[in-house]
Amino acid sequence: MDTLIIDGLSFALPLFIMAIGGIYSERAGITNLALEGLQGFGAFFGALWAVVFSHFFNIPIQKLFYFALLLAMVGGMLFSILHALLCIKFKANQVISGVVINILSMALTVFLTTQINSLVFGALSDKFQIGTSVRFTVPVLSKIPVLGAAFKNLYPFEIVILVIAIIAAYVLNKTRFGLRLRACGDNPHSVDAAGVEVFRVQFKAVLISGALSGLGGISYAYSISTNFSPSIYMGYGYLAIAALIFGNWKILPTLGACLLFGFARSGGYILGQMLEMPSTFSDLIMTLPYVLTLLLLIFFSKSNRPPRALGEIYDKGKR
Amino acid sequence: MSEKNMDKRKGNTFNRVILKLLGNEKWQHLTIPIFLIFLSFIAASIIILSLGKNPLGAFYNLLQGAGILPKPSYAGYKSMLTDFLSLLNYMTPMIFASLAVAIALKGGLFNIGVSGQMLLAGFFATILIGYSELNWVIAKPLVLLIGIIAGGILGGLIGFLKYKFNINEVVSSIMFNYIIQYVLSFFIHSYYIDPVSRQSKYINDAARLTLVNVELINLKMDISIGFVIAIILAIVLKQFFDKSRIGFEIKAVGANSKGAKYAGINVGKTMILTMVLSGIFSGLAGVTYYLGYFASIQPKTLPSVGFDGIAVALLGNTNPYGIIGASFIISIIDRGSTYMSSMAGVRKEIASVITGMILLFSACSAYIQYRIRAKKDSLAFMAGREAEE
Repeated sequence: MDTLIIDGLSFALPLFIMAIGGIYSERAGITNLALEGLQGFGAFFGALWAVVFSHFFNIPIQKLFYFALLLAMVGGMLFSILHALLCIKFKANQVISGVVINILSMALTVFLTTQINSLVFGALSDKFQIGTSVRFTVPVLSKIPVLGAAFKNLYPFEIVILVIAIIAAYVLNKTRFGLRLRACGDNPHSVDAAGVEVFRVQFKAVLISGALSGLGGISYAYSISTNFSPSIYMGYGYLAIAALIFGNWKILPTLGACLLFGFARSGGYILGQMLEMPSTFSDLIMTLPYVLTLLLLIFFSKSNRPPRALGEIYDKGKR
Repeated sequence: MSEKNMDKRKGNTFNRVILKLLGNEKWQHLTIPIFLIFLSFIAASIIILSLGKNPLGAFYNLLQGAGILPKPSYAGYKSMLTDFLSLLNYMTPMIFASLAVAIALKGGLFNIGVSGQMLLAGFFATILIGYSELNWVIAKPLVLLIGIIAGGILGGLIGFLKYKFNINEVVSSIMFNYIIQYVLSFFIHSYYIDPVSRQSKYINDAARLTLVNVELINLKMDISIGFVIAIILAIVLKQFFDKSRIGFEIKAVGANSKGAKYAGINVGKTMILTMVLSGIFSGLAGVTYYLGYFASIQPKTLPSVGFDGIAVALLGNTNPYGIIGASFIISIIDRGSTYMSSMAGVRKEIASVITGMILLFSACSAYIQYRIRAKKDSLAFMAGREAEE
């Protein structure tokens, strides 16, 4: 039971922060399929600087944890500029731009990782080893029966994600910036009429989504693998998009969707162990989150309403 | 003449050259992609130069590796022709996959599940025909048929879920991608695994859509049957979209589903039909990939062709002929990269970076077109004013 909650949370929360990034971008009217590439590039960027710093300044790599998180956000944001430019300045098809960015991100990071490994460290490897992150347990709260497991063996990034998620939810729903952002996705003309630059708001939204995706990506690099490698492109970004559409572009329901993915995944693993099934059956169990999502979507999709101006770049002259 | 004026003049000649090259709207669908590919190679050259290598030599090796230019030496039974034929063999699934994406895009849908549909079609064709002892006369057409059916049904299901339950096709295709990948991995691991290669067992040659090691004029070549079918179907598809009523209806729904509805088109039915058609082409991509280019399936891996197809379809401007050309170029870069890295010492991974940049630039092609038109208008305006003076 404990592992169910612990593993479920550590999978769900990075997904959640990526999905929030997606919500920011999509509520502002910019379709963002690039989450996958952004999280990968963010993880690459964070891991790269962590490795470089620990190599040249002899700092143990575990100490660079928060530094890596921060730089992953910077990296994701830098790469998301490309998506913003393509969609907003060059008026490219947003879906296509997203896919192109995913392809480019994967190609570029794999190329740079092998290149930097051979040039700087003299090693033939497509990975940056960043070590595992330390885990901690909250003293009193973890004693609560059942639910206490949520406070056991936490990764530090889970706390970071939660804090940022709360701030993000507040900004999106309660501030003037959030209101304008949401209006950009539903009725950009009203934003323009209020004297606010639509493109500027959208640009910021995409950058935020880049930063949050980068954070999600490096969290996976720290938890699921202990390195940055091409295996980071496992489709987490696409899963986050599924979660946010499932969550109807709202933050709280999206959290629910992410938790569903996380718990279905960890639950499946535990189920496989309990029934002592041969390891090949684990593949069948892995489908659980996805089958569940499809079934739930059949019941809940009717009321799904994407932002009205999603995917359409704002055109002043259009009515 | 003042310096400022000189600068202006210089800028103008540059503009004029660009305009001269790209300005003709009749040829823009060709000139702009070529210009973009040129740009990407310049960008790649800068990367290669900064690594201290010779970019022109590297590109030359790229073409040699892909079988476009002759290599200095060949192994026995090999020549430029065999390299070129394997290029066509490699290219076949890419054409089908990109056509599948293009069909969906024309209908206003986004088929990101091409990979999953490919895997499903390839799997069924492999276990039903690939492991049977059927004669090739029956086996090969049956492989194609199964690919068409499996892909079409899955595509249709995605369309149906969108029509009936309002499930976004992107989400459902992604879910299906995962489900198919894991479920088929289970079946392959349980029943069809080859313990040495860790892949599914090899299929019989009778069912393969590529004739392997055909000995002709003292060469051993791989001849892809699928390639011929791909070219024929691309031509048929072009006619279908240009001339037929259903093709027009698909485009109408894609352009403006509300308008199509007012015009009396059954939007739901057309949507499902679009996805069935797209799935059929994905299925064909699957069988030409798993029972043509390869002869076995690697479990738990989605073919990356399915995702590359999205980008190739875009580079080809969703036009079937354009897609053939785009697949050709991307395939050359993919296929030539191994030879290039061994000869020029440039990392193989640079190839996918070049591809990525071509796609990145091509995503902006509409913008370039728009800028060229604007520039042309302003030049015409200036010329008119000068004439007046």
